[in-house]
Amino acid sequence: MRFQTEYDVIVLGAGPAGSAFSKVAARGGMQVLMLDKKKEIGSPVRCGEGIAEHSEADLGIMVLPQAVASRIDGARVFSPNGKTLCLKNEGTKGYVLERKLFDKHLAIDAARAGAHVLPHSLAKGLLVTNENKPCGVKVLHMGEEIEFRAPLIVSAEGMEAKLAREAGFDVKAALYDVDTCFEYEMAGVPCEPFIDLYFSNRLAPRGYVWVFPKGKDVANVGIGIGGSVGGNPKQLLDQFIAEHPELFKRSQPVEFKGGIISVGAPINEFVKDNFMVIGTAAHQVDPIHGGGIGLAIEAGNIAAEVALNAFESGGDYSKARLLPYEEAWTKKSGSKLAKRLTLRKVLEKLNDDDWNHIVGSINEEDLQKVMEGQFKSVVAKIVLTRPTLFKLLSALV
Amino acid sequence: MVEKFKVDISKCIYCAGCVSVCPTAALTLNETRVYCDEGKCVACGVCEKACPVNAIRINKGGK
Repeated sequence: MRFQTEYDVIVLGAGPAGSAFSKVAARGGMQVLMLDKKKEIGSPVRCGEGIAEHSEADLGIMVLPQAVASRIDGARVFSPNGKTLCLKNEGTKGYVLERKLFDKHLAIDAARAGAHVLPHSLAKGLLVTNENKPCGVKVLHMGEEIEFRAPLIVSAEGMEAKLAREAGFDVKAALYDVDTCFEYEMAGVPCEPFIDLYFSNRLAPRGYVWVFPKGKDVANVGIGIGGSVGGNPKQLLDQFIAEHPELFKRSQPVEFKGGIISVGAPINEFVKDNFMVIGTAAHQVDPIHGGGIGLAIEAGNIAAEVALNAFESGGDYSKARLLPYEEAWTKKSGSKLAKRLTLRKVLEKLNDDDWNHIVGSINEEDLQKVMEGQFKSVVAKIVLTRPTLFKLLSALV
Repeated sequence: MVEKFKVDISKCIYCAGCVSVCPTAALTLNETRVYCDEGKCVACGVCEKACPVNAIRINKGGK
C-alpha cells in the first residue's frame, strides 16, 4: 500500500480529542492524518462512559442515537451509611454512551470532513529538524515503517502520551495525581435513570464507586481509588458488590474494563513549537469525577481553530502562534477545573463519619452550589453542626 | 538476565495505566501487550503500585 506521507498536521490518537481536532482542521482545508495505534478505534474502553447532555450544544456535536446506551436524568450521591442526595435538573441530564460506537462515529465524522485516518499504526518516535523542532512521526503500520511528515504534530494520546513526553512535555502522571480504576459492565442490575456515586473512605479510599446505567438492567459498575493509596481496586469493587446484594444478587459481568485517570491539574504547558497536546494527554480531566470526554472535544475544537489560523496565515506553527489555544482553554475551563481540584483535595481527607454527617446535613440545593463552585454557604452550614470540620473545609472558602 | 518487569497476561486488561505512570518512559502498550525497555527500567515499582488488577511484578534485583 502506498501512502501519502506529507501532511499539514498529524494527529496522534483517534479518541474524542483527536477526532474533534481532525474534523475541524480538515473541514477548514488542512491536510490531516489521524493515527491510532489500535486496530479498532474506541476499544478497549477504559471509562465510565458518561457525558452531559448540554455537551452537545456546548461542543457543536450530535451524539449518534446508536451510541447512546442510556439517557440519564441526574446524579445521586450515597453516603457510607446509605443517605442519599439527588441532583435532577436540566443541567444534570446526560447520556451513558457506548464508547466503542461513539468514538468510531467521531472518527467517521473526521474522515467525512476529509481527514485521513489510519488505525493499527503505532507511533514509534518523533522526527525533528536540525533545529530540533518536531516535523513528523515514525510509524509502524502492518509491518512497515513509515515516516509521515507535517509541520504540526498534535498529541491526543490519552494518559500514555508517549510522543508528548518525547517532545518534552511534563505529562508523566504522579501516583498522587491519578485514580486507578476497575470496572465491570454487568447484566442483571436493576437501574434507574441516574448515575449513582457511592462515597466511602473504607471501600473507595480517595475515590468513589459508580453505577452508571446502560439500559434497564445493564450498568457500568466501577471504582476509582487514589493512586497513592496502594489498594487493589478490583478487590475493593468485589467487596462493594458483595455488600450490596439488593443491586447485584442477580448480576453477571459481561465486560472487564479499567485504567488510570488523571485527577490532578492539567499539564503546565499545552504547546511548544510545532506541537500541541489536547484532551486527557494534557490531563484536561475533571478532578472530582474523572470525566474527560466533553473536555477532550472542547480542547480539540479550540486547538483546531488556532491551528487553522496558523495554517491560513502561512503555516507558522511556532509556540507563540499556538498559544491562543492554551489561553482560550484556560479561560474557558481552567479556572473551573482548578476549583474542582481544590474540592478534591478536601474531599479526599474526609472519613466515613464526616461523609455521613455532610450528606445528612446538606440538601440538593447545597449540592448544586458545590457542583457550581460556590462553596461558602454550604461550608458554613456544615461547620455549624460540626465545628471540627472547619479547619479542613476552610480551604474551600 | 533476570527481567525487572514482569506482567501476568492472564490478569492484564491492557489499560496502559503502567505506561502513563512510568517515570522513565520504559513501557509501551501495543494492542494487548505491554513491553518494557529493560535498559530504561529502573525497577522503581511505581507501575506495580498503579496497576488496577495487580498484574505487575517488579524484580528489584533484575539487571
